[in-house]
Amino acid sequence: MVDFLDKVKQLLLQDLSSFFQWLGKLKSVFAHLAAVGDYYSLLVRWLLPVLAVIIFLWCILPLLRDRKNQTTWGYLYLMNGIRVPIQSWECMLGRGKNSDIMINQPFISRNHAVLTYHNGVWSIADLGSKGGITVNGARVEEQHRLAYGDVISLAGIEMALLPADIVPAEEGQEEQVSDNSGVVNSTGTFTLLLIFIFQLLGALQIIITRSAAVFPMLPVTVFALMLAQGLHYHVLRWLQFENLELVLLSYFLCGLNVFIVASAAPHSLYKQLVAILLGMAVFTIFSLLIRKIGRAMKLKYFLLAGALVLLVLNLTLGEIHFGAKNWINLGFITFQPMELVKVAFVLAGTATLDRLLTTRNMAAFIGFTGACMLTLVLIRDFGSAVVFFGAFVVMAFMQSGDLRSLALVLAGALFGGFAVVAFVPYVTKRFAVWGKVWQYAGTTGYQQTRTMIAAASGGLLGVGGGSGYLVNVAAADTDLVFGVLCEEWGLLIALLAVLVIVFFAVYTVIIIKSSLSSFYAIAACGAATIFLLQTALNVLGSVDILPLTGVTIPFVSNGGTSMLTSWALLAFIYSVK
Amino acid sequence: MKLLAKRALVLLVLVALLTIGLVCFVVRYFNQASTWVQYPANKHLFNNQAKLTVSGTIYDRSGQVLLEMVDGVTKYHRDKTVRTAMLHATGDTDNNIAVGAQVAFREHIIGWNLLNGVYRLQNQPNRSANLTLTLDANLCAAAYKALNGRKGAVGVYNYQTGEILCMVSAPSFDPEQPPNISHYPEKYEGVYINRLLSAVYPPGSIFKIVTAAAALENLPEDKLYHCEGKMQIGSDTVTCTGIHGDIALEQALAHSCNAAFAQIALELGDAVLQKYANLAGFNSYLVVDGIKTAVGRVDVRNAAAVDLAWAGIGQYTNTANPLNFMAFMGAIANQGVLISPRLIADNYGFFASSQKKQVLSAETAVKLGALMRNNTLSVYGEYNFKGLELCAKSGTAEVGEGKRPHAWFTGFLAREDYPLAFVVLIENGGIGSQTAASVARRVLQTAVSTGK
Repeated sequence: MVDFLDKVKQLLLQDLSSFFQWLGKLKSVFAHLAAVGDYYSLLVRWLLPVLAVIIFLWCILPLLRDRKNQTTWGYLYLMNGIRVPIQSWECMLGRGKNSDIMINQPFISRNHAVLTYHNGVWSIADLGSKGGITVNGARVEEQHRLAYGDVISLAGIEMALLPADIVPAEEGQEEQVSDNSGVVNSTGTFTLLLIFIFQLLGALQIIITRSAAVFPMLPVTVFALMLAQGLHYHVLRWLQFENLELVLLSYFLCGLNVFIVASAAPHSLYKQLVAILLGMAVFTIFSLLIRKIGRAMKLKYFLLAGALVLLVLNLTLGEIHFGAKNWINLGFITFQPMELVKVAFVLAGTATLDRLLTTRNMAAFIGFTGACMLTLVLIRDFGSAVVFFGAFVVMAFMQSGDLRSLALVLAGALFGGFAVVAFVPYVTKRFAVWGKVWQYAGTTGYQQTRTMIAAASGGLLGVGGGSGYLVNVAAADTDLVFGVLCEEWGLLIALLAVLVIVFFAVYTVIIIKSSLSSFYAIAACGAATIFLLQTALNVLGSVDILPLTGVTIPFVSNGGTSMLTSWALLAFIYSVK
Repeated sequence: MKLLAKRALVLLVLVALLTIGLVCFVVRYFNQASTWVQYPANKHLFNNQAKLTVSGTIYDRSGQVLLEMVDGVTKYHRDKTVRTAMLHATGDTDNNIAVGAQVAFREHIIGWNLLNGVYRLQNQPNRSANLTLTLDANLCAAAYKALNGRKGAVGVYNYQTGEILCMVSAPSFDPEQPPNISHYPEKYEGVYINRLLSAVYPPGSIFKIVTAAAALENLPEDKLYHCEGKMQIGSDTVTCTGIHGDIALEQALAHSCNAAFAQIALELGDAVLQKYANLAGFNSYLVVDGIKTAVGRVDVRNAAAVDLAWAGIGQYTNTANPLNFMAFMGAIANQGVLISPRLIADNYGFFASSQKKQVLSAETAVKLGALMRNNTLSVYGEYNFKGLELCAKSGTAEVGEGKRPHAWFTGFLAREDYPLAFVVLIENGGIGSQTAASVARRVLQTAVSTGK
């Protein structure tokens, strides 16, 4: 018996040593690969932009296609025999153009009432209408629960609420099921395959160029990433998530993120991998949690409480990196709390349509924004302050629709902005160099000029992954990622990455009309604003169109907290429908 | 959700702002990337001492190596005279000569372009990293020798293809042994300036070709002018080189009669003379593969009579850029069509960029050519330019301050096999038809004996 064990041990050791020998050989193979690698890059630098464009188109086209697979949650029977399907959880009834169900009668107010279907409960709320509302003859003061069969009267116009499932059989086809989802999913799998190829080809390029520096981190990371993407994608399909092209686009950006990290900071590849995996998990859980509006509301208050704790922690425990005190070090993990706060911030700005139209009270949101802004100013993270403020303005406008106060707030902000530029030396310096970075190429314009040099060196197709020099500049993998993308992968791919973010916003605008609740609509707009502003500040700042600020590009920049937040915010955009 | 869908449009404002920013960047990128990439901090191209690390070679039209950059070290042509003659074409090691190929065509030499960036297949020098110029090293050397230490410029170009064969500017120096310029301020005055491309001089009598062009199209051809050795305009006098009596345009041009051309200028009037000066390339620059030439000026609008008269004979405030004027000579030779000169040999089709422009009617061009041919036959002496079919005009431009005048000689060969236009300028060179003409003779004879 002992002999046997010894033998096994010996065999194992032999095997292990031969394995390590093989590994060693593999490393020496890299040397020969270098020659082959030249020709590989010659091919791949053409292939990757083409792939990227195809991936982009294959993702956005299905999303832009108009799909009429909206679920009907109930029907309103008007007394004149017209049956109106209710396809949103919040419907405004009234005479005005913005009403979801327009009743063109003189006694009806412009915004008369909101019909809601939250957590399986129907209710109607009066928006201060002149004519008032009665349910089964009883006057409704503010809000009233409804049961199927109830007769609602808006200033004398009567209608009845009926459930969605008692539809006469011959009209059954109106209940559209997502019958074209099969087609969509099959192109989705194809796109996923293309993304895999893109990631493999790109990673191989870096491995050939950098060999030992990224070995074995990059191969492990890329394979794990591909595995995770495949798994994640199929879990989402199993959970009957639709419009997965949004997620595919994020996979694409995550692939670019891995390229950048491999090139600029290969030692943090594993950390970034974990962040991506966690991000995917967070996305899935978030999307599931906020499917029900009640849970979403609970999550909102839970996260707000957490965010307040983070704000305090940031102010007390914060560490300074690159001039801003925006890191917390817990010993085993470091993170940027303000990134996480963004998620709570977006939720703080949400409101359901009935609340939004009845109370018009944004005190809590304004208060929370104030707390965030104050913290950001105290920790000197002015780039993020701009992002938070922008998101606040957009979400406040979504809530109030008031252009005049929007203009007032913006004017005030401009004033405050001038004050910051004038009196905070660190910001003054950034602004002083703005537009003339080449005069300060050795000092305050260093990062911008290096970014532009790198971008120019890359041309449209790039010099190849791992062959760039911008990665040696401080914060290249976060603040200057656009330059790294331009240099190593070419202007085309870099622009495409930005276009993906732009598309997230455009998609939000398009899809909002079919959102179930204004909660989702506002959250999505907030998230899209944050994405847009961060990208604009990062990209345009790094090439001297705007002053340089230290914010990240969602998904693309290196950074664990940023990656997590990006996925969480994507869940808001995703959940609109 | 109609209400919120409407409000969500506010996001499009942000989308638009980001897009505008991106477009701004892309436009800047397309315009300036070639400058950005050449910043010495670019490690793709420069070492830590800010010296170019990429290799590139500049050839002349016959394949002679004019300049070679290997590992940041620049080597020039093996022959000292060629090196010196072509200094302004290749540029010096410290890049003081702004229009030298090293500076002006750097992106071409370092192998950068918008599509590929600085990417090149390793171990296999990118072919586009090499640059072939249209210049002929031997012809340039001959021209430099002919100048014989005098300051000036010599240009020869093919008026049908636009290729510049000879571009010499003196003073010059051997770029492999740059002298201490500041020790000899007189000798090396303006040495970094390419006098053919980047300098302007009073044109003197060569401007009479412009005045003659206007006369051909605006005045009767058989009109006679009168010369008494000078011409009185009010209280001022325009002096002439001789007493020519009654003289027609052809003889007036051949003998460079100031009195006759003063009368022509006055009869034409300021507007017409201005128009023909502009057509001849004054008040505008040519672009030679991205290099802008200096702008020669003629401004006679509302000039006093005596000033207009002086302007008509190439004095007053007139200035001319040698290359620009040579291109005008090319246009006369080429039926009035100006083919703009270029320096980069057209090897990959990227730079097939000679511009065509009709500046004179074909008829006027032919008549002017005949007048200039007559100059050679009746004044400069055909025996001096045997077989060249030379059409030319000399100029002796007064510069005042007690200095000798600038000597000009410019024109073209009316030969199918050697369609060459040329210009010679010698600063303070004296009589154009003597000093400048003799330089032109040697250069042109070299040109036709060594090839195009």
